[in-house]
Amino acid sequence: MTQNSASVPATAESAVAAAPVKLRLANVAKTFENAGQNVEALKPINLEIREGEYVVLFGPSGCGKSTLLNLVAGFEEPTSGEITLEGRRVTRPGHDRLMMFQEHALFPWLKVIDNVVYGLGWRPGYRFRPRLRRQKARELLKLMHLEEFARSPIHELSGGMKQRAALARALAPDPKVLLIDEPFPALDALVRARLYGELQDILVRTRKTIVSVTHDPREAACLGDRVIVFTGRPGSIKTEIKVDLPRPRDINDPQVAGYAGKIAALLEEGQRETIPGEKV
Amino acid sequence: MKPSPEKKFRFYVFGFYLLLFVIWQALFSLRIIPDYLFPSPLQVGWRLWELGNDGMLWPSIKATLVRMAIGFSIAAGIGLVIGMPMGMSRVVNSCLKSLFLGLQTLPSAAWVPISLLIFGLSDSGIYFVVIMSSVAAVAIATSDGILHIPPIYLRAARTLGTPGYAMPFRVILPAALPRIVTGVKLGWTLGWHGAVSAELIKSSIGLGYLLYMGRELNDAAQVLGIMVLTILFGLLLDRFLFGQIEHRIRRRWGLLTSA
Repeated sequence: MTQNSASVPATAESAVAAAPVKLRLANVAKTFENAGQNVEALKPINLEIREGEYVVLFGPSGCGKSTLLNLVAGFEEPTSGEITLEGRRVTRPGHDRLMMFQEHALFPWLKVIDNVVYGLGWRPGYRFRPRLRRQKARELLKLMHLEEFARSPIHELSGGMKQRAALARALAPDPKVLLIDEPFPALDALVRARLYGELQDILVRTRKTIVSVTHDPREAACLGDRVIVFTGRPGSIKTEIKVDLPRPRDINDPQVAGYAGKIAALLEEGQRETIPGEKV
Repeated sequence: MKPSPEKKFRFYVFGFYLLLFVIWQALFSLRIIPDYLFPSPLQVGWRLWELGNDGMLWPSIKATLVRMAIGFSIAAGIGLVIGMPMGMSRVVNSCLKSLFLGLQTLPSAAWVPISLLIFGLSDSGIYFVVIMSSVAAVAIATSDGILHIPPIYLRAARTLGTPGYAMPFRVILPAALPRIVTGVKLGWTLGWHGAVSAELIKSSIGLGYLLYMGRELNDAAQVLGIMVLTILFGLLLDRFLFGQIEHRIRRRWGLLTSA
């Protein structure tokens, strides 16, 4: 884990603006071939994500935002264009761009702690040091308030606890970028609100670079430093909104709701061609 | 905790078996079939008791179980080793699956003549029948299990940086385990058929041998008694050993709706 920065700037912007570019997408486009027909999923996308930034990809379902996340994760290759992480081209999945899925995807054959340990096993520096791996896993479980459940099998955890365990597992190998595909969709509102808080807590503590995908404007406003709004199929970037609020943000905060309203309005604008220079 | 339906109906199940015995006894008492061909439940129980006292029964049960334990362990190992490449390669799967499905249609007893030809009257012939009867079920279940792994586990493994060489044993095999166990359960039953069939013809000990002896001696009580015992042991192991393992794995893998 990186250093715990006690004082976090109220606006992420000032710190982030100076930070180096972590992830760069240059003219990234994706076309799927389906039964001999080419279906364009993503028009060329240009995007720069800086270190420590939380970027939310927001858009209607089927707008290609999840596809874009899959491309960054390396599960699929872009039809054209290039994705680079710290200047190095992305070619396949790896724990430097670790992805969290809509489902928790924890391995049921492993105990909670062994799930967290799992991803460390392939990291240089941890490879042949099982004790170090367990120590790190324990720290993360503590951070997620799961230390009493370290030795529990997965099926004994509640939905929210499973998501927290999945987050601990994702953070363990210390990914350069954390990719989150629709965080916590299957949970009730109360548990979600708490998880949003915890996610921001982690963000503040570790200054992790995060890219997540959502179609919920409130979630976008609550989590993102920047919200990238996508148009419908084929996906392209319509505009972006900077969310200039201090963290941690409460999803029920009126200011968050204000931003959410703006984001939702942008989505509903639908097919209108020109968007006036959206400045928040 | 609400009682499982099986517990709730336990009383009825008990009553059903009691009724079965009453009907059996009634049929016997009516003397429609001569009693040397159709013994009463009491005569069957008595014969089993006698066999036990003569020191015939327990060594035979043990012999059959030991043969199963050894033979089936080998079969399960072979099944896994063949099933894994079947599950991971479409080519291997299309080649071997039809063969194994074909072999599965062969009754276990049909392996006995060829085992006699190859192994003569030795014990290895019984192992051969057990293995041939059960290997196909385990291999097919392993490959099916691998083909039906929820893709999310494989994606998670890849994003966590699992190298290719570690995938089979760290992810693929454990992820496929629920279906593999179901196949192992089926394989055990088929192997059990094979063991008893082989013992009928080529052994001097075992449940199958006692069946054969009963026929030689025109002892219907012994034949029926050993049949009941064979069912009982097969059922016991299936329900309580493999059934329990299967249940626990399915619960852990989140495949049971109510825990």
